[in-house]
Amino acid sequence: MNSYSVINSRAPRLDAPDKATGRAFYTDDLYFPNMLYGALLQSPLAHARILNIDISRAKRLPGVKSVVTAKDVQIIRYGVSPARYDETILAVDKVRYVGDEVAAVAAVDWETAQEALGLIQVDYEELPAVFDPFEAMTEGAPQIHDAYTRNICAEVHQEFGNVEAAFEQCDLIHEHRFVNKRQDAAFLEPNNAVAVYDQLGYLTLYTSTQVPHYVQRTVSMVLKIPIGRVRVVKPYVGGGFGPKASASTLELAACLLSIKTHRPVKLHFNREQVFLHSRARHQFFHTFKTGVKKDGTLLALHNTCILEGGAYSSFGIATVYYAGSLLGGPYKLPHMKYDGFRVYTNRPACGAQRGHGGVAARAGFEQQLDIIAEKLGIDPVELRLKNIMEAGDTTCNELNMSSLGMKECIEAIRDHSDWKQKKGRLPKGKGIGLACGFFVSGAGYPIYRSDTYHATVVVKISEDGGTVQLQTGSAEIGQGSDTAFAMIAAEALGVRYEDVRVVSGDTDLSVDLGAYSSRQTLMTGYAAKDAAEDAKCQILEVLSEALNVPVEKISVRNGLVFFEGATPDYMPIRLAYIKEHRGWPYDDRPHDDHLTFKEAARLAYLKRGTIVGTGKYKPPKLGGSFRGAAVGTSPAYGCSAMIAEVSVDLETGEVTVEKVTDAHDCGLAINRTSVEGQMEGSVAMGLGEALFEEVKFNDQGQIINASLGEYKIPTALDVPPVQSIIIESNEPNGPYGAKEVGEGAIMPTIPAILNAVYDATGVRITELPITSERIWRALKEKK
Amino acid sequence: MLLPKFDYHAPTTIDEACSMLGHYGAKAKILAGGTDLLVHMKKRLLSPEQIISLNKIEGLKEAFSQNGTGLVLGPLSTAAYLADSRLIQERISVLAQGASRLGSPLIRNRATVGGNLITARPASDLAPPLLVLSAKVTLKGPRGERTLPLEDFFLGPGQTAVQADEILTKILIPNIQGISAGAYIKLGTRKALEISLVNTACFLELAQDGSIKLARVALGAVAPIPLLTPSVSKILAGVKPKNMDDPVFREAARAAAQESKPITDHRGSADYRRYMVEILTWRTLKNAYSQLMEKV
Repeated sequence: MNSYSVINSRAPRLDAPDKATGRAFYTDDLYFPNMLYGALLQSPLAHARILNIDISRAKRLPGVKSVVTAKDVQIIRYGVSPARYDETILAVDKVRYVGDEVAAVAAVDWETAQEALGLIQVDYEELPAVFDPFEAMTEGAPQIHDAYTRNICAEVHQEFGNVEAAFEQCDLIHEHRFVNKRQDAAFLEPNNAVAVYDQLGYLTLYTSTQVPHYVQRTVSMVLKIPIGRVRVVKPYVGGGFGPKASASTLELAACLLSIKTHRPVKLHFNREQVFLHSRARHQFFHTFKTGVKKDGTLLALHNTCILEGGAYSSFGIATVYYAGSLLGGPYKLPHMKYDGFRVYTNRPACGAQRGHGGVAARAGFEQQLDIIAEKLGIDPVELRLKNIMEAGDTTCNELNMSSLGMKECIEAIRDHSDWKQKKGRLPKGKGIGLACGFFVSGAGYPIYRSDTYHATVVVKISEDGGTVQLQTGSAEIGQGSDTAFAMIAAEALGVRYEDVRVVSGDTDLSVDLGAYSSRQTLMTGYAAKDAAEDAKCQILEVLSEALNVPVEKISVRNGLVFFEGATPDYMPIRLAYIKEHRGWPYDDRPHDDHLTFKEAARLAYLKRGTIVGTGKYKPPKLGGSFRGAAVGTSPAYGCSAMIAEVSVDLETGEVTVEKVTDAHDCGLAINRTSVEGQMEGSVAMGLGEALFEEVKFNDQGQIINASLGEYKIPTALDVPPVQSIIIESNEPNGPYGAKEVGEGAIMPTIPAILNAVYDATGVRITELPITSERIWRALKEKK
Repeated sequence: MLLPKFDYHAPTTIDEACSMLGHYGAKAKILAGGTDLLVHMKKRLLSPEQIISLNKIEGLKEAFSQNGTGLVLGPLSTAAYLADSRLIQERISVLAQGASRLGSPLIRNRATVGGNLITARPASDLAPPLLVLSAKVTLKGPRGERTLPLEDFFLGPGQTAVQADEILTKILIPNIQGISAGAYIKLGTRKALEISLVNTACFLELAQDGSIKLARVALGAVAPIPLLTPSVSKILAGVKPKNMDDPVFREAARAAAQESKPITDHRGSADYRRYMVEILTWRTLKNAYSQLMEKV
């Protein structure tokens, strides 16, 4: 075992008492004096020219304080990637999907705001709409954005090695097509925002976001307010999963209305609007062509992908790159070619969702590996082990696996699931399937081009020396990041976990890129460690001087100071401390046998003033020099493997996932309970996408299942028992060797279920979701 | 989402409720559990000016045995109550099974049997069990009280024989003479909080000689209304199956499939649903018959 005092244990979550007792404050719980309520008018049409907007009746309605349209703001386009800023706060000239925001209203109460929406008259000239990406790419299809002919939002062509030449060396080449469905992230808390523009011209935005930093920058850019005058605060957030990882119209409209009215303005999405805003997982149409030697050695992959992107780019450029780059590992694949197209359609914009860009690619490719294994007569576990990468390997697209416990993950699930006894020996209707995956542990580059630090952290010691406050702009969105940083800071300082208080989610506190790309544990965690060590160093310097002991001979653990060699006489420090705290019963006698951290930190305060440690993190230069090389680079990669056991009703086609054995390499686990939580959550989310979930539209471009009654996420009864096995490698770039688990864990879930369903039924389902009807039909066709 | 504005009434007797309804007519809606009504109001599909809640009226929330003639279900009996009640489980378990599959625990705590019948959704979880139990409903209005068989109650999706000024006051389940058993199976996308793709209920009663005296099968989500299947009753009446695997059950199930009139929608296609009617009917019949064999 290692010698850590705090990390690598099971700390109770800092947010648990608030959440368990219902006292956690979310954005919608915030009320301010004089607060107005906002509402958004959204397009009923999928594609139309706006001829005229008449807001006069709405403005006259008593209680309405402001009605704004695109005419009321300078048009500054924004989005996620600066190369594709294609959004405006409110529609200019055209609407591009059912739900596109046309006008915003602020009124004294919500009923009035709603009523005002009904009084706004918009004259539209309906335009032909296009919903299918293949149709959208044809000549003559309705063009959604003037600058993008054939509606191609982004296109990627990459080749590493020489795929055609490699195919000639192959004994077996297999090609198949795989399709997932457009997802909704189904976070529990719908988007909310409250903007407060004060009398000095400072704007504070409270919002349910994953990325206070990017929201701050977007608000600043679009509304032309200096960054220092915009503060973004994230209260508790009820889940994000990707769609909350960029600024939204909701947030910008709240700010705009608050600036116009000089009053606080609250806006929220209802559940239907969450579906309309979307920004969740794209639909991917993948074709994989893989070539292998007959011993199972992988030689080459040609991956082609069309992404149905919806009306705006959002994260789409990154998504289309990820759909290629994330197949570079975790298998040795010397030749890889990728052709990807992200296509605009007249549907809500897709963006990033857990496992960004890589989930459908991984699902289809792992299915293809199983097809190949079967054709070659090789056990799927053996095929994977034969090609597996190890720490130190670099993929053909120059991703460096600085740590990689992939082999250990596979071996762990194989042994814990009793794979060898089960594979090929289960009765008909029962199946077992395996898959692997890997994911970035933080994007190597910020979304905008910059040399910015990705995370800065401040650690401040209270004047009595007893409490540590960790300040970070990072986003606790339910994943447990605050808890992880408290543990890291406690470990680095040598204090107890319960003596660290975390303040987070506020752009006033520090710079942090936020909760996306599974980056915070590694990046913010690194900066937290750095800041804690800085503070500790200052305290030990003072102590060293006072006691005349070299700093290197002093250590701190569990709030106590230890000296190498003889213990110096620290009584003068203690007596001074006791004197200062006379009458404070709990501080009277700090510890019988040791000088305490608290006494040392108090001494440091008396000598130097408030002790503040700062820390920072920026990834080293990563990746190749080819176009798009930045997407997929990361200082580290987490990896995982999963075995699913299913039973399939061969008459109805119903699938029940009976059991999951899951292993994930997260480097060193900071909080073991949180790691398991992420693994189990990934199983639930992946199971939903595999078996049930699909955003459905009618031929007018309207969503027909925009509710959690009709968009089927798994219930407690659908989620099987999960055996989570934590595999620990030592990641050199992470704090204490830690790296991601948040997104990587979802990678193997869908293909493991797909492969198990095949094992149970003998039919390959290559289109998600694996509904009972799809299986029934496939079984019928097979007969 | 906000509710539209309305006046709220909470009468304490059925007669008072009836006279209010008579007074307001089509402007009023009766509130039972509210799991459909309030959702529809929030979505502005319905905007009644007057809401008349039955929740203050005593004696509507339970089932009781009526001296020898059968069971009476109060229309405000919740799905949770029906699923958990010993009386229901012991006497008419098929209804308890149906109720246990309705929505989620939260919805079951609110949703009522009366509301479930009045909303007349083709995919109702309670209607098929009640149809196979030969349930009758009592309606009360200004012109008095009338009782009709449940199969005459449903007219189409969301449409029933209830007049605008009538209140559903009772659901009657006649006594069962011989040995009987029922079964309910629901097929949905996920395991809870689900609208049926297809559901089936069956009820079998044995004669003294071991032959089937009465067989009733009802189907959900495969016709405009919850559907009784007379052809199944005809095929099985008087038959003495060898065991639960007797081919007569498959034959009956095939007849049920032929009687169904499923449509294709985003939840599933017609041909899949029709075949599922056959499979699920077959399974419910086998299940019920095996229960009977244990009781004999």
